[in-house]
Amino acid sequence: MKQRLSLHRGSLIALLVMANLVVLANLASGDLKTVSELVWLDIAGEGGAALLALLWIGLILNSRPTGRVTRLLVTGLSTLFLAYWQDLMDEFIQLPSAVMWDHWLESGAMPLGMLLLTLGIYHWHREQQAISAQLQKRERVFREHRSLDGLTPLSGPRYLREQLAMELLKQDQPLSLVMLDLHCFDHSRRLLGPHDSDRLLREVAEVLLLNLRQQDLLCRYAGDRFAVVLPRTGRQEAESLTRELEQAVRHFAFKTQRGITHPVAIMAGLAVAHDEDADSLIERANRNLHSPSRVA
Amino acid sequence: MVFFLHDQRFIPAHGQAAVLLDLAADQAIDSNVLLRHTGLFREQIVQGEAQLSSHDFLQLIHNSRRSLADPELSFRYGQRLFPGHYGAASTLLANAGNLAQALQVFCDFGVLIQPLAGARLSLSEQHLCLQWLDCAGSGPHWRFIVEAAMTGVASVTRWLSGERLPWQFLFRHDCPDYPEQYQVHLSGPLHFASQIDAMLLPLEYLERPWPNHSATARQAALQQCQQEIASLPGTLSLRHGLYLHLLEHIHQPPSLQESAEWLECSPATLKRRLKGFSSHYQQLLDEARLHQAVHWLAFHGLGPDQVCARLNFTDSTNFRRSFKRWSGQTPAMCHRQLLRFAQR
Repeated sequence: MKQRLSLHRGSLIALLVMANLVVLANLASGDLKTVSELVWLDIAGEGGAALLALLWIGLILNSRPTGRVTRLLVTGLSTLFLAYWQDLMDEFIQLPSAVMWDHWLESGAMPLGMLLLTLGIYHWHREQQAISAQLQKRERVFREHRSLDGLTPLSGPRYLREQLAMELLKQDQPLSLVMLDLHCFDHSRRLLGPHDSDRLLREVAEVLLLNLRQQDLLCRYAGDRFAVVLPRTGRQEAESLTRELEQAVRHFAFKTQRGITHPVAIMAGLAVAHDEDADSLIERANRNLHSPSRVA
Repeated sequence: MVFFLHDQRFIPAHGQAAVLLDLAADQAIDSNVLLRHTGLFREQIVQGEAQLSSHDFLQLIHNSRRSLADPELSFRYGQRLFPGHYGAASTLLANAGNLAQALQVFCDFGVLIQPLAGARLSLSEQHLCLQWLDCAGSGPHWRFIVEAAMTGVASVTRWLSGERLPWQFLFRHDCPDYPEQYQVHLSGPLHFASQIDAMLLPLEYLERPWPNHSATARQAALQQCQQEIASLPGTLSLRHGLYLHLLEHIHQPPSLQESAEWLECSPATLKRRLKGFSSHYQQLLDEARLHQAVHWLAFHGLGPDQVCARLNFTDSTNFRRSFKRWSGQTPAMCHRQLLRFAQR
């Protein structure tokens, strides 16, 4: 978290300096109001708005790398913040009516900030579309960040069950589920150590993703077991896709930290849905994984 | 007998606790967050000086589960636990010549290899049963500890024996909402809502020789383990020690007063010390009686009437009622489990 914020140290300092300049300019050209002149409701409202704008800046800076979209969003929000800030200063400091720059800061900065923010959000939307296109095989139809897996950039078993349940509602279309289990991964983990074996799982996930179609979904089931949802796919097509996945992983030459090749193999268990719920489909695919007459 | 208390610090923090810290560090969790309220600092642990009490260890598990709310955590932790780097105990385990020798490490030197979960090995005609017992009064964390312990033993015995051993797994808790973790990491028949937490294996695997072990290294490690254990404040936790004492005298269990005399303290002190482990005398007695009854009913094929007599109950109605109160099932239902295990 700290690292993310430190990326944006420049922007934060600039904002701080601007806010201070506004205070100084106000103090230089106006007089402080007495306590009886203060309107507490306005102070709370405008101060609150300024604080919220500041909070948004913090959240955005904290969650995003530097770049054009971030710059637009932060500049827009900073301008908004300065407008509210000047508004707040008005509540404490009486400026002579000859001074015009405070009106410009209040009423000019507001639409400018809104404009910049809108532009930023528009580009953010475009950026999200690009990212979603990349995520397509890992995430379908709706997003649920709580079901993301901790180790690989895939979704976990909860998302798998939800997606299967959704697909199973479409009864006129065939649906296949393939479970993939790394062969002797327990042994590999002890040979490779925790870091390399975790990386192996992540890289196998990438290899599998590269060999899937646009409509397919890859999830991490648990441990070294992956699940592939194949919508609109009958047995024959699913069998040939499974063979391709097995071959792709067999040809994957995983490199350890020391640069030594560690061969990988997967076992597969296929189940084609007919009139059942997600749990029983998963169970059948898992059972086929262990039975010797599995789909090869 | 000398037993250790819940707040006595003697568990080396660079042992099993460090495995959990490393695991969390791999997932970018700040170790200071994990060590919160344990009174420990990362620097002390790295120097190999820090020691934990069983209570501190539970706090560490609590913190880890809070920071990494992933049901896979206990299983990943278990996979890394054994044989581990815990000195002589790890050497002893790594050089086991067969399963019996490996399990001996958990039963005789449990405090060195797995301080929070005690192992009890019992043999019936067909099976060996490795039961896991709560040493630390771990309450809501027991499931985490037992998941890790079973994953660890299943994984290390597979690694050392060079073959997949057909373990069956019994859990006291109901099937949780993450059954996939159990299926994939334990990969054997699972029996949830059983009366005990235990692992079962056909007896023939017990003495089958394992490859790659050194008998000499094992002998030396055995000596070292015995010395190490003698220098500790106790070989068992008070909770576990009293449980075993009750189990040993299950025909005529000693009262709280008699147990206190055996431990050379007053009943009030015993009560207070057990409270430190979130336990009390009656709970331990019920546990011991239930566990022994389950062993007799489900693994040794004794009928409810025989068990009733052995536990010194005056009449069978009384026994059936008590058994139901301990376990939620009747003795006859428990007896039928025997067939379930044998069918596998």
